[in-house]
Amino acid sequence: MNNIRNFSIIAHIDHGKSTLADRMIQLCDLVSDREFKNQLLDNMEIERERGITIKSQTICLPYTAADGKTYSLNLVDTPGHVDFSYEVSRALSSCEGALLLIDAAQGVEAQTLANLYLAMENDLEIIPVINKIDLPSADPEGVALQVEDDLGLDIDHVQYCSAKTGQGVKEIFEAIVTLLPPPQGSPEAPLQALIFDANYDSFRGTLISVRIINGTVKAGNSIRFMSTGKEYRVEEVGLFKLRRESCKQLSAGQVGYILAGIKTVEDTRPGDTITTVENPAAKALPGFKEVQQVVFSSLYPISTDDYEDLATALEKLKLNDAALTFEKDSSAALGFGFRCGFLGLLHLEVIQERLEREFDISLILTVPSVQYHFFLSNGKEIIVDNPAHFPDPAHIEHIEEPFIKATILMPETYMGAVMTLCLERRGENTNFHYPTPGRIELTVELPLADVIYDFYDKLKSITQGYGSFDYALFDYRRADLVKLDILVNSEIVDALSQLVHRNNARARGLHACEMLKQEIPRQMFKIAIQAAIGGTIVARTTVSALRKDVTAKCYGGDISRKRKLLEKQKAGKKRMKTVGNVDIPQTAFLAVLKSEQ
Amino acid sequence: MLYIHIPFCEKKCGYCAFASVAGARELYRPYCTALLEELSRLPRRQLSTLFFGGGTPTSLPTDLLCELLDFIRQHFSFAEEAEVSMEANPGTVSFESLRRLRLAGVNRISFGVQSFDDDELRVLGRIHNAEEAREAVRMARDAGFDNLSLDLMYGLPDQDTQAFDFSLHCALELHPRHISLYQLTPEEGTPLFTALENGRLTLPGEEDIIAMDSLVNRVTAEAGFEHYETSNYALPGYRCRHNIRYWHNEEWFAAGAAAVSYVQGCRERREENPWHYIEKITAGEDAVVERESLDREASFRETVIMGLRMMEGVDLSELQCRFHLEPRQYYGGVLQKLMEQGLVERTPTHLKLSPAGHSFANIVMAELV
Repeated sequence: MNNIRNFSIIAHIDHGKSTLADRMIQLCDLVSDREFKNQLLDNMEIERERGITIKSQTICLPYTAADGKTYSLNLVDTPGHVDFSYEVSRALSSCEGALLLIDAAQGVEAQTLANLYLAMENDLEIIPVINKIDLPSADPEGVALQVEDDLGLDIDHVQYCSAKTGQGVKEIFEAIVTLLPPPQGSPEAPLQALIFDANYDSFRGTLISVRIINGTVKAGNSIRFMSTGKEYRVEEVGLFKLRRESCKQLSAGQVGYILAGIKTVEDTRPGDTITTVENPAAKALPGFKEVQQVVFSSLYPISTDDYEDLATALEKLKLNDAALTFEKDSSAALGFGFRCGFLGLLHLEVIQERLEREFDISLILTVPSVQYHFFLSNGKEIIVDNPAHFPDPAHIEHIEEPFIKATILMPETYMGAVMTLCLERRGENTNFHYPTPGRIELTVELPLADVIYDFYDKLKSITQGYGSFDYALFDYRRADLVKLDILVNSEIVDALSQLVHRNNARARGLHACEMLKQEIPRQMFKIAIQAAIGGTIVARTTVSALRKDVTAKCYGGDISRKRKLLEKQKAGKKRMKTVGNVDIPQTAFLAVLKSEQ
Repeated sequence: MLYIHIPFCEKKCGYCAFASVAGARELYRPYCTALLEELSRLPRRQLSTLFFGGGTPTSLPTDLLCELLDFIRQHFSFAEEAEVSMEANPGTVSFESLRRLRLAGVNRISFGVQSFDDDELRVLGRIHNAEEAREAVRMARDAGFDNLSLDLMYGLPDQDTQAFDFSLHCALELHPRHISLYQLTPEEGTPLFTALENGRLTLPGEEDIIAMDSLVNRVTAEAGFEHYETSNYALPGYRCRHNIRYWHNEEWFAAGAAAVSYVQGCRERREENPWHYIEKITAGEDAVVERESLDREASFRETVIMGLRMMEGVDLSELQCRFHLEPRQYYGGVLQKLMEQGLVERTPTHLKLSPAGHSFANIVMAELV
């Protein structure tokens, strides 16, 4: 056990985490140069495309240290985006130490702090690593001072590297071996294995990622899930090398996987403890905080035939994405679907993309909403995140909306623009200080509803990528909300209804009307698009009637092409939703979600 | 029913996305040799229609065209009253060449005139002016062509209804037996498309196009023309029998680069590039690059949508005979709805588009395809 080190790399998004992981894997000769590709641990297509990590990944690196001994270094790669910090905290619970990666040019960012706090909560030993020292704009010494002053970490432990060139990576290995503690626990004690992740394998059942805290587990053991009492027989245990590699047993201190032919999703809850039936542990490990969904939206399949497939797909995604919640929902316009809870808008986008790509289901999403607290005149309090459940306004005493406390770190030149953005989004109680000369840390209280749309994208763009952002829910405050309905040829399209602040309602309504006007193709009749609050129309646009198609000539050589064009047109029409007699394309529903420019 | 493609032009027009190359004179002879070779491989059937399309068939030297015609006559033989059509462009014909083609058997000539406004012709990138077009028609008459057709386009850049009215009247003054009228459709990749994209040219708006449509209907009817297909108008007895085969989705043979044939339910498209076409044929291979055989139902649907281009519509007994299918049974509610919307009509013998249906032909066809 003294030869095991379990560690994570935590960092602000884009600070080079996946690149450092790639370099460490290469240095351990786990992968031939021929097999090597960038972002080795990011298996998902979306991860590679967007260059982000969504799912944690684990890999066991064999390393022979300067002391001549061979160590097993278990690296747990974690996501960097603010939406996925719950993944980070789960991954950290399987480690004794963490590399806190900081960009030598950008310095400490909002999420560097947030992730550091997460690591501290988990009592991890931290090694600060300053990356990208090869950049011309790198300021390793300055950043090292930030590490000491802002983060209170030991400057002597700071490692300098360039994950891109490989410079300094060897030294990081040595630091891991010498500075991070080996895992505690006893292989002889009753088994306590912490589930920190689960992935579905259609052949073998659920692949459970575990950290063995105490005891030993091997194939043939009967195991019990302590929260449900369900029992299974272990088929295989193993380590995460570049691929899964089975081994004889896993014992205290190790990170690995268990296969036990588990077909049901609910049985493998991350945070649960696995023990053996013969020699059960007295109590379960503490487990994880419940994740909190902040954004809610309904997903409807474009084709109603896909409803069952959507249900199955969500079950499967839920299996390795504990943060996703869903329940049945239905809409007059769109039929049956699911109301889903997400950690943020990126999470929502990722789920949408995975459903469309991995499961080939085309979707329509409703306008994302946060959870509002409605206090009714009969004294009851209800929570509403779905415009469909908006109570009768006559019965509403008052409404409260969630507020977040946001921390924004940026070079001071962007302060003015960022302040303007915060005020536009109804920011309150702004506060700032200078952690280092030239850099500002701004804290601001913002209504979550105004952040979920595109706050992060806007912030990135106005600070040219130098602004960083982290937030936590902290309060509920009074809000003057209304339900904004969209009508197409006088019929309410329920899936386009949204809960909005009264002051923003007109602008939102107009925006929705304009977007719909652009996206709804002209049809044989005039289409009136209206936005309404209660019975009052607040905005309207019109799509004029199509008077005539262009009918090009068509001779022998054109027949196939013409037919294929018409088939395409037919397929496109199939992908539309018909409300009343108006065909509305999927893009129109998506366009309404987009924010004002 | 044989189509021959001549993929050559003097100059490529700005709107043209057809298979054609400009100025490749050195290919004329080898191309004809390859064509003769491909033709000799076809079954020796009697031809009721023959159509030379392009490109510009008359950009080939008349000797070569006559050689092709002589070969075809010997290899296939023509049926009595066979229709032998050739597309031609003003500026590529003389009285002499037209006379020789007429004597070699061509009995229907179709001039791509497009407009009688010299400015419009220049914008389109045509090689001729209005006067040359008139001259070409007169020469064809003198050379013995009675069955003469003109192609005209409308909805040209910056064209207003008046300008089109002028061109249409100029065309009718030449007393053609047949007119094809096309709305200009910008094809991606053409210079015209680019010019429209970056705003150097603008097309007339929908209102103008609708006005031009009604102008076409009124003026052609007054001159005694029957509107028999979406884009085609003919005096009684002068419909193009070859093209009607396409709209009836009947079979035809083909030879030449980019030519498409449809024989025994199989549609074959040939290599578009004339150099490659020549190479392949010379090497003893066929030049087919794409084959398509539709199943019975898909072929039925295709026959319906092609047939709806004809004003008389699609013949129900013909469909029954070929496919053993009846549209109302086959399409059910889809067709029912189109009929209720007044877009499709049924006569005792035919299924056809209503006048409103013709305005929304793509919408209707996309339901039935």
